[in-house]
Amino acid sequence: MSIPIKPVFVDEKLREVQESGRLAYRSHALPTWCPGCGYFAIVEGVTHACNAMNIPRDQAVVVSGIGCSSRFPFFVDLYGFHTLHGRALPVATGIKTANDHLTVLAVGGDGDGFAIGGGHIAHAAKRNVDITYILFDNGIYGLTKGQTSPTSAVGLRTSTSPFDNPERPLNPLLMLLSYGVSWLGQAYAGRPDHLRAMIAAAIAHRGFSYLHILSPCVTFDKTSRTYVNLGLQVRDLPPGHDPTDLMAAMQLARDTDHPALGLFYHQTRPTLGDTFDEIVARAKAKSAPVTD
Amino acid sequence: MSKTDIQIAICGSAGDGTIAAGDILRNAVAAAGYRVIGFDVYPPEIRGFGKCISRLRITTDQSYSLKRHSDVLLSLDDSQALPHAGEVRDMGALIFESQPIAPCLEGEHMSARVLPGQIPYGFPMRELSQQATGGGRSRNLVALGIIAGLLGLLPDPFRKIIARKFGKQGPEIVARSLAGFQAGFEDASRTFKLDDVVFAPIGPREPSGRVIMLSGNAAVARGCLDAELDTFFGYPITPATSIMERLATELPKRGRRLLQTEDEIAAIAATIGAGYAGARAATATSGPGLALMSEMLGLATITETPCVVFVSQRGGPSTGMPTKTEQSDLNAALYGSPGDGQRIVIAPTNVEGCYRCAGKAFEMAERYQTPVIVLLDLYLSNRYETVTLEESGHAFVLDANKPLPRLEPGETYRRYALTEDGVSPRAVPGDADHMHVITGLEHNELGRPDDSESMHAAMSRKRHDKLQAALCHPDFAVTRRFGASGRVKVGLLAWGSTFGECLEAVFMAQALDIPCAALKVVMLSPFPAQAVAAFMDDCDQVLVPEVNYEGQFAQLVQGVLARPVTRLSRVPGSPMPVEQILDEIRRLARG
Repeated sequence: MSIPIKPVFVDEKLREVQESGRLAYRSHALPTWCPGCGYFAIVEGVTHACNAMNIPRDQAVVVSGIGCSSRFPFFVDLYGFHTLHGRALPVATGIKTANDHLTVLAVGGDGDGFAIGGGHIAHAAKRNVDITYILFDNGIYGLTKGQTSPTSAVGLRTSTSPFDNPERPLNPLLMLLSYGVSWLGQAYAGRPDHLRAMIAAAIAHRGFSYLHILSPCVTFDKTSRTYVNLGLQVRDLPPGHDPTDLMAAMQLARDTDHPALGLFYHQTRPTLGDTFDEIVARAKAKSAPVTD
Repeated sequence: MSKTDIQIAICGSAGDGTIAAGDILRNAVAAAGYRVIGFDVYPPEIRGFGKCISRLRITTDQSYSLKRHSDVLLSLDDSQALPHAGEVRDMGALIFESQPIAPCLEGEHMSARVLPGQIPYGFPMRELSQQATGGGRSRNLVALGIIAGLLGLLPDPFRKIIARKFGKQGPEIVARSLAGFQAGFEDASRTFKLDDVVFAPIGPREPSGRVIMLSGNAAVARGCLDAELDTFFGYPITPATSIMERLATELPKRGRRLLQTEDEIAAIAATIGAGYAGARAATATSGPGLALMSEMLGLATITETPCVVFVSQRGGPSTGMPTKTEQSDLNAALYGSPGDGQRIVIAPTNVEGCYRCAGKAFEMAERYQTPVIVLLDLYLSNRYETVTLEESGHAFVLDANKPLPRLEPGETYRRYALTEDGVSPRAVPGDADHMHVITGLEHNELGRPDDSESMHAAMSRKRHDKLQAALCHPDFAVTRRFGASGRVKVGLLAWGSTFGECLEAVFMAQALDIPCAALKVVMLSPFPAQAVAAFMDDCDQVLVPEVNYEGQFAQLVQGVLARPVTRLSRVPGSPMPVEQILDEIRRLARG
């Protein structure tokens, strides 16, 4: 696939950004990421999506764990909770349980989500808690300066695998699909327009939505997951893909050589909040005084 | 009017219905107006060959602990009960199966173990059950009937409790259970009475409040409900599970929510998340779960998010002894967290205290914006006491979570403003005027990451100082002195469930003319140093009895006050015997 290249003029771009209204969702803090990091596109995508969806700033909470990506809450002007390594999802579940009206986003990286926090994802998906989990996958630990992650490629040389990473990477998309995720999509930091549309769709989904975002780490991975390599690997969803077909989604997810971008799967089913409401209704019906 | 003080023990193998029989018995005598304290011992397995003992002490006025000697021991399985024959006092009764199902060696039958002075009662319990119900499964109810018949207890409260307990299983089971009880009751009524064990009649009770039977965990759940808990997140673990089980039934009736999480880390994480979002939230666990929660407790400390954690201790370390009691998680509760994990730790000493501490924990968590650990143990969680509750329910003062006033133009909201009392205005999501981001990183007043030397010092001081006010928390006694006033020979410093045994020992020592007092220490962090020091000033000798090996509370006292104490640290897996404490008091009093 070829990427159309057209000249961009700074003053035009600036005017466009200022007039868009999305700067209202950006905080004044400067991102702590390296120049060229794919995560800048994600900040832009989230502010775009919130702006387009007109989400009141005080009604949205961004919860993160620990890692480069988890610094995210400081860079947007929403309520934010920068928690512990791997624990964004259970904290977000608590927030959503306490207040159904909030739009809750959980953000984090591949190490945060699939190594230390791996145990929580299955349960968030199974419960269908109505939050949006945006996972920034750069296949390496960046904040601790370049160690192997659960999604690092076989053979990647890092400071903790000086004899090259011998382990096969996890397949997060297949995992999520088998956990029963009710919305699953994939995007790429190098395709910001598609990315922001996917973020908006993920937020709009009622239930647990998982958006996997492929991104390079420009500082600690110069060989494996670079812009050049990722740009050549990613492809559009095959035409006619049916996002309600779980088996088709799983087939797509198996192709890790050429990651497809777009909505893999979605399903409508009761959320955790719905089941709470049902339990309350049943409990109240049961304990209501019998009248004759 | 003479006073009642009778202890009954029922012992059997897991699956015999031992605990169920004890439950019916204590409820029946409580319904008759007596005060009860009861404690069950059971194995970690559901069935099989583990030992179950249900003990209850029945008194006219509320007692504080079980006695070493029981007045009556009923054996449902001699192989389990044989080692306990000696716990029956002189002129007390040993009740056993007179016709065992299989022939057994003489020494394996209870009749061979009756000591001189004990009164043996053999009843054909299996046969009575068979005749009355067509099967042997109602043996435990026959046994209850025997106890009621022998001790001259009225059968009606028993019948009511049996009907209520088995009602859910259908009328057939109720009828069968009642028939079993009746068979035992009639058979025992025909034999000679045990006239050394007499229930004194109960006079009219004081009109205010009502007396109910609660376990420590049930009292905790009730305290949570009266404090209007919004959300509860938990993961099953002995001996804390029953707090969650009760709330799982009760919270939805009130329109509230409970979630069983995937582990204890998720439980505390969601509790903190809910607290951050403005809900009143709690979780409950035991030592192993507390270990998993310790990192999250640090997050609650540094983000100053209210949350309440009930920790019911059991024998440790590691999986340890899940169904045995111990007070060995004190250090983990006080210090378990990365960094300076400032928090409030309170430990009730009886069932009524469980209720009060539960409600007060939410007051403190919200007022001081801090994690609060309520430290129980298996003995306290599982023991039953008759408690007096006010008709109206306790009025906990929960007014700290309120919307903040609008900001003045040009004013910036500072989530962690350094105020005089260390408590900063707390906004929750949904407040457009006070938006902010919180973090587990050290931060400045605005909540932004800041690891400068001055800021870390200022914030550490803030988090420490704000908790000191909890020592004077309204309507909450952080310590309380019992026994003799003024100068004493021996003073006991006691915390948690062991306080009951300490108090009984103090009363016994006073009866022996030993000037003796006990200080109940309910708040363990922040440590009430002044009150403890003042008490120690009055004591020639200070004794610290606790059920752990290292003497964790004694270490705390010595660490803060640098004064000598005598430790009485034992790890029997069961409550510390009163006599052991008394012996130590007498030894110290002799000088």
